[in-house]
Amino acid sequence: MATRVVVDPVTRIEGHLRVEAMLDSDNKVHEALSSGTMWRGIEVILKGRDPRDAWAFAERICGVCTTVHALASVRSVENAVGITVPKVAEIVRNIMFLTQMVQDHVIHFYHLHALDWVDVVSALSADPAATATLAQQVSPHWPKSSEGYFRDTAATLKKFVESGQLGLFANAYWGHPAYKLPPEANLMAVAHYLEALKWQKELIKIHTVFGGKNPHPNYLVGGMPCSIDLQSDNAINIERLELVRAKILEARDIVEQLYVPDLLAIASFYKDWAAIGEGLGSYMCYGDVPQNGIGDPAHFRFPRGAILHKNLGEVLPVDPTHGDEILEEVGRSWYRYPEGKAALHPWEGHTEAHYTGPKPPYEHLDENGAYSWLKTPRWKGNPVEVGPLARMLVGYASGRADFKAVVDGALGKLGVPATALFSTLGRTAARGLESQLAVGWLQDEYDRLIEALKGGDNNTADTIRWEPATWPKDCKGFGFTEAPRGALGHWIHIQDGKIANYQCVVPTTWNASPKDAQGRRGAYESALIGTPMADPQKPVEILRTIHSFDPCLACASHVYGPDGRELAVVEIG
Amino acid sequence: MTKTDGSPAPVLVLAFGNLLLEDDGIGIELLRGVEAAGDDARVEFVDGGTQGIALGAALAGREAVLLLDAVRLGAAPGTVHHLREPLRCAPPRGDSAHGANAGELLATAALLGDLPARVEVLGIEPASTRTGIGLSPQVAAAVPTAVRAATEILAAMLAAASGTTPCR
Repeated sequence: MATRVVVDPVTRIEGHLRVEAMLDSDNKVHEALSSGTMWRGIEVILKGRDPRDAWAFAERICGVCTTVHALASVRSVENAVGITVPKVAEIVRNIMFLTQMVQDHVIHFYHLHALDWVDVVSALSADPAATATLAQQVSPHWPKSSEGYFRDTAATLKKFVESGQLGLFANAYWGHPAYKLPPEANLMAVAHYLEALKWQKELIKIHTVFGGKNPHPNYLVGGMPCSIDLQSDNAINIERLELVRAKILEARDIVEQLYVPDLLAIASFYKDWAAIGEGLGSYMCYGDVPQNGIGDPAHFRFPRGAILHKNLGEVLPVDPTHGDEILEEVGRSWYRYPEGKAALHPWEGHTEAHYTGPKPPYEHLDENGAYSWLKTPRWKGNPVEVGPLARMLVGYASGRADFKAVVDGALGKLGVPATALFSTLGRTAARGLESQLAVGWLQDEYDRLIEALKGGDNNTADTIRWEPATWPKDCKGFGFTEAPRGALGHWIHIQDGKIANYQCVVPTTWNASPKDAQGRRGAYESALIGTPMADPQKPVEILRTIHSFDPCLACASHVYGPDGRELAVVEIG
Repeated sequence: MTKTDGSPAPVLVLAFGNLLLEDDGIGIELLRGVEAAGDDARVEFVDGGTQGIALGAALAGREAVLLLDAVRLGAAPGTVHHLREPLRCAPPRGDSAHGANAGELLATAALLGDLPARVEVLGIEPASTRTGIGLSPQVAAAVPTAVRAATEILAAMLAAASGTTPCR
């Protein structure tokens, strides 16, 4: 047995996103290429399998998105064979969905995105007393805001940095002129980052209660595999539900007293980013959190719809099962479609690798040819952005009072107009505002669950159509959810009880897609155009915009000068 | 299975891996082998899949942790690796929250003061991590050796751990 001291990582990366940005002579981005460099073949793995098992494979696609893939998968099968899940199962799914969304958003903000705006090294020079004053202004009801607390935090941070374990904070551009926060705001944000890390370990216990285990909770075609009985010792009883209630209250505190106040405080120093990173201006979501069954989008807490060209006066209807509303092109991707096909609906989807790119390691991509392992999905021919901003805008434009209250409240506090939403700052803010809605809905869904249980309804699964013999010989289904980073769809085709075809269109495919046949850019590419860069060797500005989408990919950014020379290679976290 | 309350078992065996990427699933395969070999209330087995810092809850409060994973060090595929100081080697700040990154998980635990005193890694050099289910022949052949090695490490961790062995 070899015993080695390591040089290479014990690491694992889900996929790889590469962004190449071309700058003009005044260091503004004038062209961008977004390329996903890993091929995922879940479709190939699922062909021929039992549709009732698909969720367990889909759950393994991504480490963070386990629950959303499982949910989209069971819904696709239920849609295909005609199962309506019982009300209690629907509520439990909603609770698990909202829990994951809140946890993912908070971690994205503090752990992945905040360091694009917060200078950790600057925090070391903060005055703890002044930080305490600032924190008490920003979050007056949060208990941990004393001078001593911030002194301790600074000491912990200093010790960590001095121990040579900077690691967590190594991959950034401390001291870059694009960082605008005073040292005290930086220290406050770092303290809250530590609080968020501690808390996220707690919230996810909700998944363990309902899903039996985490990180791979159990799902079931037809409902949920858990048994709930308030009085029983052998089921999810009132004691377990009390734990869920307590975790929801903690989540509310974290979102309402740390996340949203920090977000607005930090945003107030970066209002120039309300005019950067606009991108497509077109948005789409499938909606989620059903109140009356998955077949009734009119009663979703997250409404379904699309907005084109920043027109908030009209929310367009979306039907992902309609033959040609959603089509995927592969003209700029490393795939081949059957002869004569330029675009396919996911039900007809085809995944045949056909690599024509340069031999790795390469210096740059061929901007005139195929340049990505991601396909190019389009809605009614339009490139659209998916994610929190899309959901908040569709809710807002649909006239929903709950959406209007949080959006208008934040715009008022920042003193910016609604057009500020179409930006990198807007995208980042939308995630926080959505979390605010989501924690409130978590409480509502919990209350609905208790009410149903008290009324004697504890049916968590409909098993009448469990046996494939009860299914149509040939059927198709669409399963969807709103994953934290956007609309997620699974399309299934079942023949003789087995999977004949299975296609996933994930949110990052919508956002990071390459250009389409008309040469129109995807959301990432489009959002980078016009971005000013203070120092092209340290492209923190590109990171800000790409991170604002919360990519479900690791990525490397390559920045090119006017002569095509590579200026920097940056790993994006 | 992750507990939701009470104090955690002193020893954790945590596997990383994506079962859909051939040899990337090594850790999960090893977990099954080690789990079958041992039944002791002082150890908890967790299939971490491809999660990163979200596994922080699993690490907190442990005395010793054995990570099972694919380990790529440039050796011949199927080589069994035993790493005693993984924090020194793994690149910490992750590229994404979406890949389990043992280094990031360990560094985050260290920042929070949750890092167990003893952390070791037992893994196998992968041959192929393309999309697909099942291990390559070279790696599959090394699994029994690796399971034996992991079981020995676990036994040593348990011998040093607090608490008594339950009656069988």
